[in-house]
Amino acid sequence: MAEIFDRDTLLDLTVNVIPLGIILFFVAAFVLIDPFGGLDFYGRVLQMGLLAFPLVALAILTYVSGKAIAGDEKRSKVFFQGQATIEGSPEKHEVEEAIEAEAAGETDVEDPYGGDADEDESEVDPDADDNDDNDDESDVDADDESDESDESDADEDGEVDADEK
Amino acid sequence: MEITGQLLLTVLMGAFLLGVAAFLARVEDWRSYTPLGAGGGAVGESGYGHSEKPAGLIRWFTTVDHKDIGLLYGAYATVAFVVGGLMVMLMRAELTTPETAVLGSATFYNSLLTSHGITMLFLFGTPIIAAFSNYLIPLVIGADDMAFPRINAIAFWLLPPGALLIWAGFFPLPDVIPAQTAWTMYTPLSAGVGNGNQMNVGVDLMLLGLHLTGVSATMGAINFIATIFTERAEEVTWANLDIFSWTILTQSGLILFAFPLLGSALVMLLLDRNFATTFFAVEGGGPILWQHLFWFFGHPEVYILVLPPMGIVSYVLPRFSGRKLFGFKFVVYSTLAIGVLSFGVWAHHMFATGIDPRLRASFMAVSLAIAIPSAVKTFNWITTMWNGKLRLTTPMLFCIGFVSNFIIGGVTGVFLASIPVDLVLHDTYYVVGHFHYIVMGAITFAGMAGIYYWFPLVTGRWYQRRLAKAHFWLWMIGTNVTFFAMVLLGYGGMPRRYATYLPQFATLHQIASLGAFLLLVGGIIWIYNVAVSWIEGPRVQSGDPWRLDETDLNTAEWDWFEAKRETSLAATDGGEDVTADGGQEIEDDTAE
Amino acid sequence: MDENPGVSEEYRMVSPWPLFVALGIPIAEIGILFGLVPLAVGGLLLFCGSIAGILRENEYVSSAWRGLAGVSVFVIAGGLALWYADTATASDLLIRAYSLIGTGVLLLVAGVGGDLFARDAEPGL
Ligand code: HEM
Ligand SMILES: [Cu+2]
Repeated sequence: MAEIFDRDTLLDLTVNVIPLGIILFFVAAFVLIDPFGGLDFYGRVLQMGLLAFPLVALAILTYVSGKAIAGDEKRSKVFFQGQATIEGSPEKHEVEEAIEAEAAGETDVEDPYGGDADEDESEVDPDADDNDDNDDESDVDADDESDESDESDADEDGEVDADEK
Repeated sequence: MEITGQLLLTVLMGAFLLGVAAFLARVEDWRSYTPLGAGGGAVGESGYGHSEKPAGLIRWFTTVDHKDIGLLYGAYATVAFVVGGLMVMLMRAELTTPETAVLGSATFYNSLLTSHGITMLFLFGTPIIAAFSNYLIPLVIGADDMAFPRINAIAFWLLPPGALLIWAGFFPLPDVIPAQTAWTMYTPLSAGVGNGNQMNVGVDLMLLGLHLTGVSATMGAINFIATIFTERAEEVTWANLDIFSWTILTQSGLILFAFPLLGSALVMLLLDRNFATTFFAVEGGGPILWQHLFWFFGHPEVYILVLPPMGIVSYVLPRFSGRKLFGFKFVVYSTLAIGVLSFGVWAHHMFATGIDPRLRASFMAVSLAIAIPSAVKTFNWITTMWNGKLRLTTPMLFCIGFVSNFIIGGVTGVFLASIPVDLVLHDTYYVVGHFHYIVMGAITFAGMAGIYYWFPLVTGRWYQRRLAKAHFWLWMIGTNVTFFAMVLLGYGGMPRRYATYLPQFATLHQIASLGAFLLLVGGIIWIYNVAVSWIEGPRVQSGDPWRLDETDLNTAEWDWFEAKRETSLAATDGGEDVTADGGQEIEDDTAE
Repeated sequence: MDENPGVSEEYRMVSPWPLFVALGIPIAEIGILFGLVPLAVGGLLLFCGSIAGILRENEYVSSAWRGLAGVSVFVIAGGLALWYADTATASDLLIRAYSLIGTGVLLLVAGVGGDLFARDAEPGL
């Protein structure tokens, strides 16, 4: 378990920690400020139960899904969404390494995969985001140079203009 | 009279059963031998007679193939969308004047209002999502079909009778009038109490129809859960599952908990109406019980409707941004978070019912918390586009429209989740504006993004680009004109669900009707474009019509499409192209 | 499903039953709710018959007749429950109870009879 929930995974899970935090904040507020004071016990239980139930359920689901996803990440190859069954599609870490190599200054490394600002797998330092941003910019630049002719929505145009003739 | 009526019914029923038996005998007969030969194809040049699929209409009535069923769902949803859309056009026409000058009676307006809501949510929203999920999920996760193909077919075929029952009040049946309960069916009105006319069987029929669509959705959900858990290809681990499948999985979980509850509540209501039980009577469970049960279903229902469209956008938008989805796992986890939290917010629809303020506060807290995962997704979409190489194709435009409208719809929702604001705005047009920004501006837009994006995949042809873009702009402008006017009407204090209004609201109502007219024109263009292009659009020239390979954003369903094209080119000596509808025996070549 | 979907040749892409399962449910529902005997009986026959057909197609049961006999038990049980409820509550449920029990008996007779006499009508299954 310690292995599955490493820093990367925990970082991914922060997204669900925020709503948990908001609920906890209200729990604390209702207890401390007690805006509707002098409650009967039953009302109190309902009030807290309505907060506790989603809190607990969300915590459990986050844990279970995090374990399933992060576990599978460690156990088997990881691809980008929708590409796992395509033959010859690159694995996620290959793409990331290419991007990193490029960011590290080896400008001749073509990045054929398109950037993904999300790829913080190997970066656990707090400013991972900055690095990722850089990745993307260099990625876009590289593409602009190499295939200028094919940005914009040319492809759809191409296909359909045939019909409009 | 009574006796002859029964006799007539018996004869009709008997004849019908005999017809069914004869049909079954025939079908069973050919099925054990060879497929039926010719037979006018209902849809273009369907199947060349290979595989076991029969030709013609019988194919569509007997199919259990997930792609065929997906198309059936799509056709059904389209019909429902047209019906619901025409209903609301009548309503918007009525609302151009403060009196009931156009339709002549508020009763008819109320009937349209009720049917419009139910049609759009249950007969269009849920089925159009099922169209995408049925067609695509087995392809994307590398399954051969759904886990339970027959249950899949049953789930679909429950829907047409459901629609007939829901619309029954509008048909010229003696003594049946349409329900006027609004889609929320609040008791005591819907229990037929009081001097109104809601004791009419029209309401019973509608409740039965709704019950059927609920059964259908539940069966579909079980099927998707089983399929995604057990039928994934080996490579598709949880870490590799795509975002659309994740949203469908979550949605199915929500359906599994929400719809059976609606079904039970509907049965209780039917019992109250027909067998004098007192579930929702003042002397029994009380009318408020209905609201609790309904919204315990109802709020999850709005996420049932919005999660898969979010999945479509998360899936399609990166393809035209030239990069992968930003924060893929954030999107997955926040989807799951929405799924859980959506069961803890139902009473934010009941803030004004005099509910205990302590409970109200708890519901407010969770309602505010649930806004976070939605916002996270929004930021992920924006960040995906940020600095990307955007290609403003029609699907992409609809995705961007989705994000834009979802922001307005979401922000208005967060305001409503705050008790003091809601107490002012509850039951005004502000609420109508809020949820239409989401159901029309977001959910329907995502549906259109999906339809345009996968149009080449399904039909092997291109739609007309200019018409598609005209459709988008008409809808983008129309949506914002219509529903922003409603937000303003709500600020002005215009209550919802009225056929008449004070003269001071006339201008904004007329503006809203103008926007609705733009939506109508856009919709007509859409139907025309899809229909004509399906029949005679130019054929796509490659297995990767969106050129996703160039940015390495190809996905499994296009890979399948490519393989299917190759197989069919080979099979037909290169002359013919792919067939217009779901592939036949080819899929086992691509499945691993 | 035991039909080994990976193998396309053997994969059944059609089944006539789902449509009729789906038609049977609403007809039976309307019939039972409004106490319309022909609809209740006819809808149930359609529904149960199609269920039996599907069960056989899946090879969950060895013959459709046995499937019929199986589902008839549930219908009869439902009818008996309504019969009991009729006496226990103020509602008039007798006509509905009789429709269910009657249909159930019909199904049972058809199932048992078919299994005894008509087995040959389904070669190969
Ligand atoms: C972003 C988070 C959201 C929040 C906090 C929120 C909040 C609310 C609240 C408090 C109401 C009740 C207003 C009233 O009746 O006074 C409401 C109504 C409604 N919301 Fe949302 N909403 C959100 C998102 C959505 C989404 C995504 C959908 C649709 C898929 C949706 C659909 C609806 C509908 C249909 C109603 C009207 C219910 C009725 O008939 O009264 N909302 N929303
Ligand atoms: Cu809600």
